[in-house]
Amino acid sequence: MPAREHLLKIGVSGIRGVVGEFLTPALACAFAEAFGTYVGGGRVVVGRDTRSSGPMLQHAVQCGLLATGCDVVDLGVLPTPTIQVYVAATGARGGIALTASHNPPEYNALKLFNAQGLFFNNYERGELIDLYHQSAFRRASNEEIGRIAEDYQRAPEMHIARVLRHVDAGKIRARRFRVAVDGVNGASSLMTPRFLRDDLNCEVEAISCDPTKPFPRVAEPRPDTLGELAALVRRTGADAGFAHDPDGDRLAVCDELGRVLDNDDVLALVVDAALERLPGDVVVNLTTSSVIDDIAARHGRRVWRTPVGEANVVETMRAVKAVIGGEGSNGGIIFPPVHLCRDSYTGMAFLLARMVSTGKTVSELTAGLPRYYRRLGQAAYEHGRLGSLMQALEERFPDAATDRSDGLKLMWPGRWIHVRSSNTEPILRLAAEARSEEEVEALLRQIGTEVP
Amino acid sequence: MRAERSLRISHVGLRGVVGAGGLTASHVLDFASAFATFLQTSGPVILGRDPRASGVMIREGVVAALNACGRDVVDLGVVSTPVIQHTIRRLDAAGGLSIGASHNAAEWNALKFFGSRGTYLSTAEAGELLDIYHLKKFDFMEWDRIGSLKLEPSAIDSYLDELGEVYDLAALRRFKVLVDCCNGTSALILRRMNERFDFGFILINAQIEGVSFAHEPSTTRRMVALQLAPLVGPVGADAGFLFDVDSDRVAIATDEGQAVSEELVLPMLADYLLPRGPGKLVITNLSSTALLDEVAGWHGGKVVRVAVGRQAAIDALSCYRPEQIAAAGEGTGAVMMPRFRFVYDGIASMLAVLSMMLERGAKLSQIVGGYPAYSILKGEVPLVSQQVPALLASLQAQYSDGRATVTDGLRIDWPDHWLHVRVSQTEPLVRIICEQRGAPPVALFDALMEQVRSVA
Repeated sequence: MPAREHLLKIGVSGIRGVVGEFLTPALACAFAEAFGTYVGGGRVVVGRDTRSSGPMLQHAVQCGLLATGCDVVDLGVLPTPTIQVYVAATGARGGIALTASHNPPEYNALKLFNAQGLFFNNYERGELIDLYHQSAFRRASNEEIGRIAEDYQRAPEMHIARVLRHVDAGKIRARRFRVAVDGVNGASSLMTPRFLRDDLNCEVEAISCDPTKPFPRVAEPRPDTLGELAALVRRTGADAGFAHDPDGDRLAVCDELGRVLDNDDVLALVVDAALERLPGDVVVNLTTSSVIDDIAARHGRRVWRTPVGEANVVETMRAVKAVIGGEGSNGGIIFPPVHLCRDSYTGMAFLLARMVSTGKTVSELTAGLPRYYRRLGQAAYEHGRLGSLMQALEERFPDAATDRSDGLKLMWPGRWIHVRSSNTEPILRLAAEARSEEEVEALLRQIGTEVP
Repeated sequence: MRAERSLRISHVGLRGVVGAGGLTASHVLDFASAFATFLQTSGPVILGRDPRASGVMIREGVVAALNACGRDVVDLGVVSTPVIQHTIRRLDAAGGLSIGASHNAAEWNALKFFGSRGTYLSTAEAGELLDIYHLKKFDFMEWDRIGSLKLEPSAIDSYLDELGEVYDLAALRRFKVLVDCCNGTSALILRRMNERFDFGFILINAQIEGVSFAHEPSTTRRMVALQLAPLVGPVGADAGFLFDVDSDRVAIATDEGQAVSEELVLPMLADYLLPRGPGKLVITNLSSTALLDEVAGWHGGKVVRVAVGRQAAIDALSCYRPEQIAAAGEGTGAVMMPRFRFVYDGIASMLAVLSMMLERGAKLSQIVGGYPAYSILKGEVPLVSQQVPALLASLQAQYSDGRATVTDGLRIDWPDHWLHVRVSQTEPLVRIICEQRGAPPVALFDALMEQVRSVA
């Protein structure tokens, strides 16, 4: 039986779906009412990425928040990390970002932040979803209904100021880097060129930085979707190329030769830069490359592994007071002194600072990383088959060390396989890594009969 | 007032106290989605609101729903209902919505719907809208066909331009006029008239207010007497006017400080409009003053009486050609005139009264004093039993010497007085009205109240 077409998902990661018949304004409003009830009134921050459905859903969300007695601060179009920093810095009760991140333009979603500007953790999400289903919302009377205030200027300033505190901007400015940018016409379209040009004195070559236009490429920034950026780097002789997803929390990097780096390698370079200067451990998710373990080992640090998902990584980072962390495959870099969120701006600043301090190019820095070969894949699966699939895999590889905190990860020295069900889509995600192409292929062949 | 059980969804739209058990965000989204689905013609939807605090919440929901259904929205911000209706025509819009509870207290709010001509929906259209609302099958568009929002802050100016084509503003500005705005939208319009046309409106309760109005926002003689009437003399004004929050109704105080009955507004305007022609009909309801019939008689006009409520008036209007009608309205100070579109418009009504003063060269107190005295008594009794039909039947038998009309409850007419007993459409009440030319019909009214109390 083929998997059902699944165009709306209401669950622990919030509400996400195809706008129109599925993700309706009424649903977004009701979810915002649950959120407003959960935070108990007070100031709630709302921002969005550049999707065409964004303004409509923002009105619906603001309606729900006002109906529960919240005051709304409208930030307009901004990167998700910038919204999170603003929530934390201004003492708001929480925040909602309208963005479906790297999903195609027909999707949208509500990302929910608590008073610290952090993604709702599992407990918070569970309570919120219960409130949503109970429909027992706070209902403000006329005199309890608040206002909508616009604040379009301060959030980028707050965010950038925090980032610049952790790099030697003077030295970066002095180098006058030439940098290419692909903003996917997303939420970073205005802020990233401004940051690189005005704050870091780079010569900026920008494409797809018009927030009023649709996404010009596949929204997810991956080596196979960034051909235009690579060509721009080669054409302009840029020192580096940076690319975002629509909500600007992810960072993809292109070296000066026009080769798009593997996202795990980007994380590794930034982890290396952080560990060079600061004490503390590293936290990454189970699917992130072993390159992080090797880098951490060079600095004598420990690596903690968590289930996939920003909230999970952040929870553990808080618990172990990690200095840096992230999620490799999806280009997320988390540096707590700026904020406990995926932040592409910290990533860009750290990378440029590292180029200054080492005097190396991006390709030279990348060449210094241990080489791993990775395969990522996905498959539709039938409900009820997941448990037996995991068991069969575990029995087939009795020699492997296992981690079952998120699906199943089978580990051997120098290679691993990770199978899990996605949090956001009804699919099975598969990742495998080894020291050579041949080893990865062999791994995949071995499990081939188990995974559909 | 508690929100609980205040919600009312009917042919006139959506109305209730905002909050738990009353008017909520989900009602707003569903109703606005139904309206967008209902609209047939292309074009944007015009939106405006009165100053109630809950209006911002409702606006957000309405914009989201209309945009989601692919409709562009033009938001006029805080404006009067007549300005919304005017803008619908000016921009060739598909329709419009007014967020505001008019003469109700601040904690209430409501959605009112207009078609492409800027008029309220007919009962048939409103029925279709209700069916769509109840079915909850809405035409949500895909991501690349979602509508957008445009702000239009200068709608009042365009509205004033059109008023200027009908009324001689340059001549009318000579009057010194005191206005009680009741913290509503009339303040915005009149302030602009002072700026643009050098009018001398003196405004009280002119602060736009979302939570507590200076007094109950109804256009009744009682409210005129409260603050407005006593001030007219001391400031030396030629006239005083009181508007409800969304400025579709008006009440009057004379230059001598007399608070005029709200029942007098329609007869006065009929007296002004009937001789100007061509319309000879005045449409009103069964509960408004008989003075109207007398005034119409002076000019060879005819009064058409329909059931109480806006919807009956709207449906009656559609039965005639516009040029047949001189005016239409209620005894509440809500009057619509063919010269200035068929919308209830308090500001236009005020300008008509001032024009009347100008053309006759008379003081307002002289004009008001020129009408024969009618005395009206109004009462209400809580409705608790199912005995009202039987009561009406027995009253009809009891007063068989009068002429009975049973269109809406029971009205009985005698040559110099009448009575009307009906069940309210908006509240669980029986309303009792008696009027007599000359002295108040106290004995009849008291007897009637007693009879209704005994069964209601």
